[in-house]
Amino acid sequence: MPRHYDLCARVQNGFRARLRRIAVPDTKMNLAISNVLYKEGFISGVSRGDHVQPDVEYVPTTPDNIATRRLWLELKYNNDEPVLKSMSAVSKPSKKVVMKASELQNLAAGNRSQFIKGLQPGEIAILTTNYGVLELREALEKGAGGEILCRAI
Amino acid sequence: MMARQRPSSPSTVTKARVPGLDQSGSLHNLAEIHPLLDHYPRKTDSEGTLKLDTDRLWAQEPPLDDMLKSQADDDVDEASLPHGLTKDDLKHFLKRALIVKRTSNMTTAGKVPSMYALVVVGNGDGIAGYGEGKDDEVARAVRKATNRAMRNLTAFDRYDDRTIFHDIDHKFHATKIQFRSRPPGFGNRCNHYIHEICSCIGILDISAKVWGSRNPMNVIKATFEALSSKQKLPEDIARGRGKRMVDVQHTYYGASE
Repeated sequence: MPRHYDLCARVQNGFRARLRRIAVPDTKMNLAISNVLYKEGFISGVSRGDHVQPDVEYVPTTPDNIATRRLWLELKYNNDEPVLKSMSAVSKPSKKVVMKASELQNLAAGNRSQFIKGLQPGEIAILTTNYGVLELREALEKGAGGEILCRAI
Repeated sequence: MMARQRPSSPSTVTKARVPGLDQSGSLHNLAEIHPLLDHYPRKTDSEGTLKLDTDRLWAQEPPLDDMLKSQADDDVDEASLPHGLTKDDLKHFLKRALIVKRTSNMTTAGKVPSMYALVVVGNGDGIAGYGEGKDDEVARAVRKATNRAMRNLTAFDRYDDRTIFHDIDHKFHATKIQFRSRPPGFGNRCNHYIHEICSCIGILDISAKVWGSRNPMNVIKATFEALSSKQKLPEDIARGRGKRMVDVQHTYYGASE
């Protein structure tokens, strides 16, 4: 079961290598985080496929093909620069980071909270809350706190 | 074409080809100012005679020191100045000689000393540059460095014309610098070299910390590199992501002008 920092590494490396698209393990968590990245505009598409290429037509996931199932993320570049510069994990198995809504407000304002640096202009933080995997500002709208999985800029 | 004839006697003199210039057998009157031969500044006095304009002439005479400096480092080509600047604008620029030190080159003849200068030039409103110069004399080295700085002027992006857009981490050789964007009224709380550079650029609020080597030359070069290349403008971020960008400070909180 790959953890969220696996996705962070794959996405960051894919952008640095200037790839067109990358294949990541097809899990619910990876799909949820990829959706947040897509909504924020870091990647231009999320689709399912096998280990070679994304599916052209819908292919249901069965025990026969589950080993080959991948999530394909289409990466974005603008002005000869990658749109995503770095994506790093915040909460790790060695040190979990869980914050309340009031602490998240500090982060959103750019101030340090719980030894985590504040968000810079254009930076996002992805956290898992009771309402699902959300971006930090979406979580604040709902007044929800949770575990901060990763941050992307 | 008339063949030139050597004037041997007044009777064999040919007609002068250039009036006033060909005077038979003798030089022209050197006591008089000649319109063609004398290129010094001239003026016509009240009586109508041509005279040397001594005020302009002696004001023009360059001092001996200036004549000794090298030609290449003296002139700042106006075409090489950025953003439509002229040489008159450069007169009002801030010039700070941040480093002046004595270096020595070891040769077979022994230690050959030389003066090194690093000068930062800026208009206090977004345009600045630095230059290095070496010469035997301090004043000449500083002048060389200033001219090179004028040639290396670049524009710097500032948020609200007072601070940087976001925090910057930059490493240059063994010097690591962390810049932090700060609110208005904060001031430039940083290394003294960075402080001078910020006043030349026109950055009013910033916090910075130098980690590792604090070598002055490298701190200055690191600062220029970081502030010119590492800033990402919010508009570019928004365009890359396909999002609409709103400056909350200005739109919702109405930042004062």
